[in-house]
Amino acid sequence: MARKSGSALVIGAGISGIRSAIDLAETGYHVFLVDKAPHIGGILEQLDHQFPTNRCGMCKLLPAVEPDQASQQCLRRGLFHDNIEILTAAEITDISGEAGSFCATLHQHPTLVDPNRCMGCGECAEACPVEVKDIFNAGLSTRKAIYRPAPQSLPGTYVIDLSACTHCGQCVPVCPTGAIRMATADRQKFKILVVDDELIVRDSLRALLADEGFSVEMAESGEAALERLTSDAFHLMLLDIKMPGMEGVDVLKAALEIQPELQVVMMTAYATIETAVESIKTGAADYLVKPFEEASLLPQIYRFYEEGGNGGQRILDVGAVIIAAGCRYFDPAEGKDVFGYGIYPDVVTHLEFERLISGTGPFGGRLVKPSDGRPVQKIAWIQCVGSRDLQTDSDFCSSICCMSAVKEAMLARAISGGQVETVIFYMDMRVFEKPFQQYLDDAKRSGVQCQRCRVHSVSASEDKARLTIRYVDTDGAHEALFDLAVLSVGQRPAENAENFSEMLELELNPWGYLAPRPFSLTSTAKPGVFLGGAVAGLTDINDAVIRAGAAACGASEAIHKSGGSLEAVESADDQVRDISREEPNVLVIICTCSDRLKPLIDMDALLDRIQADPSVSQCLQVDGLCSPDGWAEMLEELKGKPVNRVLLATCAANAYAHKRLEVSDAAGLPEKAVQIIDVFFSGWFAGDASAKEQTHYNTGHVERRLKFAIAGLKGINLMPAEKIDVYQSALVVGGGIAGMTAALAIAGHGFRVELVEKTGQLGGNLNWLNRTIDGADVAELLQSTISRVNNNPLINVHLNSAVADIQGAIGRFQSTIDDGESAHMASHGVTILATGGVEGPTESYGYGRSPAVMTQKEFETGRANGQIDPAALSSVAMIQCVDCREPPRNYCSRICCLSALKHALYLKEQNPDISVYILYRDMMTYGFYETYYTQARRKGITFFPYTVEAKPEVTVPEENSSSGAPAVRITTTDPIIGRSIQIEADLLVLATGITPVLPGELMPKLDAEVDAHGFFKEADFKWRPVESLAAGVFACGLALSPRSIDESIASAEAAAMRAVRMISCQHLTAGRKIAVVRHSLCSGCQLCMSVCPYGAREIDPESGRIEVNPLKCQGCGACAVICPNSATILAEGSEMEMFEMIDAALGSI
Amino acid sequence: MPSAEISLTINTQETEEDILGPLQEELSACIQCGTCTASCRNAQLMDFTPRRLWRLVLMGQTEEVFHSKTFALCSACYYCTLRCPRGLPLTDAMNTLKQLGAKKNVAEYRPNARFYGSFLESVRRHGRINEMEFMRRYFILMKNPAIPIKFTPLGIRLLRKGKISIFPDKSKTERPLDQFFQRVEELERQQ
Repeated sequence: MARKSGSALVIGAGISGIRSAIDLAETGYHVFLVDKAPHIGGILEQLDHQFPTNRCGMCKLLPAVEPDQASQQCLRRGLFHDNIEILTAAEITDISGEAGSFCATLHQHPTLVDPNRCMGCGECAEACPVEVKDIFNAGLSTRKAIYRPAPQSLPGTYVIDLSACTHCGQCVPVCPTGAIRMATADRQKFKILVVDDELIVRDSLRALLADEGFSVEMAESGEAALERLTSDAFHLMLLDIKMPGMEGVDVLKAALEIQPELQVVMMTAYATIETAVESIKTGAADYLVKPFEEASLLPQIYRFYEEGGNGGQRILDVGAVIIAAGCRYFDPAEGKDVFGYGIYPDVVTHLEFERLISGTGPFGGRLVKPSDGRPVQKIAWIQCVGSRDLQTDSDFCSSICCMSAVKEAMLARAISGGQVETVIFYMDMRVFEKPFQQYLDDAKRSGVQCQRCRVHSVSASEDKARLTIRYVDTDGAHEALFDLAVLSVGQRPAENAENFSEMLELELNPWGYLAPRPFSLTSTAKPGVFLGGAVAGLTDINDAVIRAGAAACGASEAIHKSGGSLEAVESADDQVRDISREEPNVLVIICTCSDRLKPLIDMDALLDRIQADPSVSQCLQVDGLCSPDGWAEMLEELKGKPVNRVLLATCAANAYAHKRLEVSDAAGLPEKAVQIIDVFFSGWFAGDASAKEQTHYNTGHVERRLKFAIAGLKGINLMPAEKIDVYQSALVVGGGIAGMTAALAIAGHGFRVELVEKTGQLGGNLNWLNRTIDGADVAELLQSTISRVNNNPLINVHLNSAVADIQGAIGRFQSTIDDGESAHMASHGVTILATGGVEGPTESYGYGRSPAVMTQKEFETGRANGQIDPAALSSVAMIQCVDCREPPRNYCSRICCLSALKHALYLKEQNPDISVYILYRDMMTYGFYETYYTQARRKGITFFPYTVEAKPEVTVPEENSSSGAPAVRITTTDPIIGRSIQIEADLLVLATGITPVLPGELMPKLDAEVDAHGFFKEADFKWRPVESLAAGVFACGLALSPRSIDESIASAEAAAMRAVRMISCQHLTAGRKIAVVRHSLCSGCQLCMSVCPYGAREIDPESGRIEVNPLKCQGCGACAVICPNSATILAEGSEMEMFEMIDAALGSI
Repeated sequence: MPSAEISLTINTQETEEDILGPLQEELSACIQCGTCTASCRNAQLMDFTPRRLWRLVLMGQTEEVFHSKTFALCSACYYCTLRCPRGLPLTDAMNTLKQLGAKKNVAEYRPNARFYGSFLESVRRHGRINEMEFMRRYFILMKNPAIPIKFTPLGIRLLRKGKISIFPDKSKTERPLDQFFQRVEELERQQ
């Protein structure tokens, strides 16, 4: 595979970090993916289902072009990519340098378990006596101090939680592979100084620590301690805060001057905890509260011992940094806790609920009450807990909770077969993304109830068995009984956001989140440093994936500009034997797992039966493949064997996935010809049957697994993968901000771009926009972007032009660009559609019958050209969701609420006496936009909610009425006071939303699809949001879905990143598992063409044959299923091979 | 439920006396979530729930606000203030309405104003409350013979238990809090 010089650091291995890492790795950079948790996946590891599909689908992040680069398996289990180095349980402690040459210091937390030896058998956890709350299950269950971080993760390596481990050592002898390293010899070298004026404290500490094997010395006063420090080096000092003579804090300062590396732990009585907390700022590492308990003291001491003595530091040289450190969640037990969280076990957070219903959760997926394990009948979701709440300093919306509550309610109903009653108590239902309104409608139809109100409190019912929820609706106060209350807790900034801010001089927003620059969601004031995902504010997966792509694009450009070449660094091409024409000759190696396998199966009989297969040349045993010795022995065995396929039978096969290359290299075979399978299973036959029967059963099991794998290996496709030459340039259709941004990003990587704009000027919608709600200057952005486009020699701008025709597919597109006079031909490897959108049309609310009724766009242009004079107006009304969020345009346009607030605030600012009324359904002020909603209220703007069933009525005066008459009369109902309201306004502004503009005639030629509302249909709304299922076709900006300027720019950068990845190589390699057509059998019925979801098939105009585009084909097999005479087959996994594998799997039971 | 239509027109907004102006400013961040109503222990006795009252205040419906019993029924427990997610000073706002109600001499609020007035007058005269005098003053001010009759059974019960006395309390100094009250009146005038 082609590698490029340059590397990047991605901090945080959640969805965002993984997306950025894969994007950069696919493009050829080396990526360090760092996470402080012991597993990757971030919060998504804990969630089994995501809205709006109610499935997972995380695997869709894996490369679809050149799929063989990464392991194609469940991404929640693990990620293996040649270019990604995953560093879990590690933290970045410092970053210095500048774009192109950053120097990051990585601190690796010791886990005390050797991941190369641990095979995840779990015997250590059985032996461990320490039980702590399981963070993975959100504290709903317990785990041991040695544990597997995520139940599904692979390799299933165990780690030790140093904050809980007492170093009792019970796990060490039970480990069959000796993977746990808890050496006692080195403890003698760890010197601890105990400083306390009380002899009894000193003595007890010394006894305790000396028992554990540490070197302990004592000092009875601060002065004595400092004297000891000047003469001898110590690793750790336990220092009393309150001593006669020199005070602890003064000793601390002096001690750190003598030994700056010294770790100091303050010992404090309860009364002086504040001083101890203060002392951390002075340089203390931690503090202990007297009296000590052995169980909590020892883990703390050991943490210092392990971190200080054995924890590794590493310096990473990288060209760019992406911070995707995620966010925290509000703790509802904090503050007033009116919902009884932490008091009633049946009040849970939404994360706890996700674990509650998860199959790997504490109740195995059954929906029961945590308090008594009895079934749940009625669940309440309480929204905006720690969001949209000025009392908890959270004047922001957390953006995802409405949808996650809807999802959880749907899941709860699905799990219970519709038996559970679900009620969501919400303030505004924020369904601001394209498919969310439909999703909400579906949820309501399936029986999810939505109650608009803020819940007042949760308390125990009279019989203490249930929860009483007190709330107010328009009829008054109610109390209702529920079994479970789920709190949708809001976001809080990442713990280390402040550290990063100090480290890299990054700005924080008023709530402590890292803040991007204006008009960007990812770039920061520090060049080369980018933000991904929730670190700049919580987002859903769709947004996180787009932002991750944008961050990767920025990082890639930064590395490229500083000299990191995108030219392929020539890798020694596969020096492997061509075995495609050889008869299968399989070497089978079985790991006996430190002789654990031998008593379970009849090994001799097994070897005989396997070797009976004529294609198996030899079947060997190796002891302990997981140990370095065993592995080396196996590699030795391979040398010089005349075999062409290797099968390794082990436990935890996935753990070896990334070592497959080592095996194939040793055997001189293509990687494909090596397979590693799992023969161990949890259901070894045990019971009343005789030992002989057990052995017979187990041997049969292993035999079938081996034969199944051998049958599979025989049928692998060893033909060299097809390579397709690529036109290394791009076509961008649409010269708005999205199109220009995409063009600049691609050109920034050194590739040619054809930018086609149908009008006479670049800029699109930005030509009529003046300012954003946060006051950023749109005109300035537009001018600077246009001049950058015009000055870029790699961007060829075609104004007043259209793409008349487009032929070909990924890597090799041919387009005809028509400028009205002549036609140009362009060859390009990828196509990006940035064709934008326009304000939706309307005839509602008297629009068109009076100049006093206008759209938001008309208001914006009117105020810019002076036609609208705020001083001359005394009353303005606005109606939101005009012809939107109801069929036929059943989606939210996301930006109209912000526009309305922007205009309203402008009017109030220009004319404080003006009355502004906003009639809305749900105010979509997601994320930090919420603060403008608060501002608007404070400025005295009046808001009236209305429902789609009872829309406002508008009377427009006759046009020739006398000038003194009030202009527009609006009648609506205020639900709070339950009365009809009449508003007389000089001006009525309608928010009609956004409708997309897509080149309808080009879409089928690109095999790209259009969704129900005319927007570009993504390959997957959440996981692949900027590309089509047909490879090489992308969309960004309004053509994709309604979005603001910064969101359009982010989508354009994300699309550019994916595009650059495809054109950065001179040729692309197809996957091996693709469909082929046997033309002699093909009748040309074209059924396969209609079922192919990827548009990978077309008819060759010359021969009339159906051809498969190997880059677009994903090997799904739909064509092979539908083909009536098996003319289409998969290159790997033909019917014959499948039958053989099935026969082998069924075997002789 | 009252069904009178509310008009928000250009003209009424301007001619309306701005008596609610300062309150509107204080409460403008209100999101009508209803936490105040759910917190209020007297809400079921009120004609408008607190949430509805604040909405009317914000819409400048002076007449309706002062003709409601809501603020008169506020017992100043401060629960709504404690719980308001917007951190609005709701109990203080209720007090402001009580003061405005007294100042405007709103008919619905008159009994309350007289009750408080009688109470304070008794305190002013004796430095503490004299229940008999306090009620006597109140009955006289109300000019309604039905009220004393209504209170008679309660009065007799209190008398029997020795909770109140028919004889006036003999205070050592006459009108001990006069100066204090005068100063308050002075301050109020200055405002």
